[in-house]
Amino acid sequence: MPKVSTMSLTDEEIRYLRDAIAREPNSVELSMVSAEWSEHCSYKSSKPYLKIFSTEGRYVLVGPGYDAGVLDIGDGMLLTVHIESHNHPSAVEPYGGAATGIGGVIRDILSMGSRPIALLNALRFGDIRHDNHARWLFKNVVRGIADYGNCIGVPTVAGEVEFDDSFTNYCLVDVACIGIARRDRLVMLKGDADDLIVVAGNRTGRDGIHGASFASRAFEGEEEDRSAVQIPDPFMGKLLIDATMECVEKGCVKAIKDLGGGGLACCLSETADRLGKGMLVMLDALHVRESMSAEEMMISESQERMLYIVEPSRLEEFKAIMDKYEIPYSVLGRLTDDGYLSIYHDGKQVARIKASIVANAPIARRNAVKPPYIEEIAANSRKPEMPEYEDVAEIILELLADPSIASKEWVYRQYDHEVGLRTVVKPGYADASVLRIGLRHDRDDEDADGKYRYIAVKVDGNSKHCYIDPYNGSMGCFSEACRNVACVGAEPIAMVDHLQFGSPEDEHVFWTFIESVRGLADYGRYMKIPCVGGKVSFYNETRQGAIKPTPLVCVVGLVGDGSMVMKGHAGDGDMLMIIGLTKDEMGGSEYYEYIHSTLSADVPKVDLEYDKHARDAVLALVRSGLLTSVHDCSKGGLAVAIAEMCIASGIGARVELSNVPHTCTRLDDLLFSESHSRFLVSLRRDYLDAVNRVLADYPVHKAVIGAFNSDSDSLLLEYKGSSISISMDSMLDAYSSIARLMGHGG
Amino acid sequence: MPVYKVNVLIENKPYISDPEGDTILKDLVLKGGYHQVRSIRVAKMLKVEVEAKSVEEAREMVRRMCDELRLYNPMLSICKVE
Repeated sequence: MPKVSTMSLTDEEIRYLRDAIAREPNSVELSMVSAEWSEHCSYKSSKPYLKIFSTEGRYVLVGPGYDAGVLDIGDGMLLTVHIESHNHPSAVEPYGGAATGIGGVIRDILSMGSRPIALLNALRFGDIRHDNHARWLFKNVVRGIADYGNCIGVPTVAGEVEFDDSFTNYCLVDVACIGIARRDRLVMLKGDADDLIVVAGNRTGRDGIHGASFASRAFEGEEEDRSAVQIPDPFMGKLLIDATMECVEKGCVKAIKDLGGGGLACCLSETADRLGKGMLVMLDALHVRESMSAEEMMISESQERMLYIVEPSRLEEFKAIMDKYEIPYSVLGRLTDDGYLSIYHDGKQVARIKASIVANAPIARRNAVKPPYIEEIAANSRKPEMPEYEDVAEIILELLADPSIASKEWVYRQYDHEVGLRTVVKPGYADASVLRIGLRHDRDDEDADGKYRYIAVKVDGNSKHCYIDPYNGSMGCFSEACRNVACVGAEPIAMVDHLQFGSPEDEHVFWTFIESVRGLADYGRYMKIPCVGGKVSFYNETRQGAIKPTPLVCVVGLVGDGSMVMKGHAGDGDMLMIIGLTKDEMGGSEYYEYIHSTLSADVPKVDLEYDKHARDAVLALVRSGLLTSVHDCSKGGLAVAIAEMCIASGIGARVELSNVPHTCTRLDDLLFSESHSRFLVSLRRDYLDAVNRVLADYPVHKAVIGAFNSDSDSLLLEYKGSSISISMDSMLDAYSSIARLMGHGG
Repeated sequence: MPVYKVNVLIENKPYISDPEGDTILKDLVLKGGYHQVRSIRVAKMLKVEVEAKSVEEAREMVRRMCDELRLYNPMLSICKVE
């Protein structure tokens, strides 16, 4: 049986608690506080730094601090967006951990009274080419996401996967969810004294006890963490979605809150604190799976549970809805005016403590020192030997087969990305996915008067860049996510981020965290793209030490109208044009790390002004309808981006590399540099003048570098009179390496 | 070499919830009128036929196979080889 302990509280925190309540806390209070004051729930290390994000903007209705950010996209329609991770549970039990991660983020979206309509995920694993365990994690995480998402009928529309040795024996599983709500139905936390506190959903058991504290400690291997296994129940998850939406529609709940990390302890204290109320809670009323102590009930993280605040006069209505869906529930108690959480069990008061004390952990001051490895990389950076000209084709093929670059079809083919009938641009067809949202109608999926909004979503990260240069690397991730939504014709309107690092108590790790936040905040402020929510996940450590810093950025974009959605392929005879400048910035590139196993300090830097011009230029082109396709140039560089366009369009191309605007001195730098703010676009020959006229307004580099040719079954790269030829078949073969590694059946 | 039949039973540990078993109990069994039924847990059985010199060797080999190939997750499930 899992032992309730206070091991996650420091001596200082216990002293602070003692002073705050002016007495010794009892064991139930200690359990509650230690769950809520865990890094996972309290943000005690990160809070002061998150304030530098710009959080306001034209579309923002609700910014960070709620269960999800809320964007007003006009005509009474709101978007909600949130991101969560489930790294530790997934490293222990990949199938259940990943599935319950989906369940969790969906309930955050539900908590705002919004209906979840799309999921995205970002996954990171060790080396699946050589490591059985990494393959096992990868396979089961993907299956967990697929099964849960498919069962509850929310499509998984986009994602991103990276492989790196720093994730050996571990994994990062991040899930973002998009929801929609009508403006007049948005549920903000409300509540008055004597309103009832109801918990509905699965019965509470001992699973996931101390999960929040578990997620706030370094990962020490499987055996010690058996209590953190969480079991998904997608059927209950689906019932909760439907029942909650019905409650919202009828207006019979005043507040909704997900029971996530930290269980009842966190959920009750945060809700009470936010409402400025107290709570009288009778734990004996809670529907449980087994007999449990008060401590265990307070911190159990059993999945698929929600908290509702219901006015007494609406209780019967609420009960009728829960009964209809056969969802078990219990009325735990009521709100009070005194600000105290008063918890009763077995007829006795087992805890009485101010919600504001529990919900607001003392800030933990952390030291930040630039880690020595960064200087070491800078001191030891040297260029690898220039490959022989005839070997370049082989390198391009190797990069296409690099699992971090190769086709992720094996992954997204397992997901249902169409359920709900609103996925206009599906995974694998463009750089971001596009969703259609109907307006002015009760049932958002019915077309009342042909009025729709189109939104684009994408999540991006790059651990390799962020390890070497967390400031510029993080800014690059943000830029890439924005470029990706621009590629489908959307203007970025908001972002949520997920910041994943090792232990904040390590001054070197903490320095990378601060740099990363600065990078994201600087980009967001310059671009006027507000941060509307996010998460911080520390203590992502394995036996080899901290993971590479991994901030993820999920960007939401708005497309003008449906006719502007970009989802085409390059056609026969189309010209290939590049927008942007290729620079000698090879640090953290797949070419250096995957091919040459070499670290270099010169990570690509975003020139903010240039980045904005390049993105605006592409948006203007897409919106003018002059292009046949657009592709962002990122991992693997220009060579990989061109090859991907050929693969996606199913035709060969001939490219003159010396036409590419660049400042490189070597061919390999030109081909494989991951410089930001670059796009490849294809266009019909007769549109070239028109395209140039549009581009004349933007101070960016541009050049026609080649043409697509359906007669050719190869990609021909010419450079100073010599040429490199790669057959379509060999590219396709290399690009499908993941399916081969994982076995076709999944 | 003789062929042995080895049964491998994989089930969730007793303190880990089992939504599938709960659903069968609630939606089929209790609604079907069998109110005497207290609980139902779902398990998976692999019936393995294996060449080996002895019963012990067969059992040992199947055990090793289940552990090595992660046919079950030791964090989540109990695996009985009989």
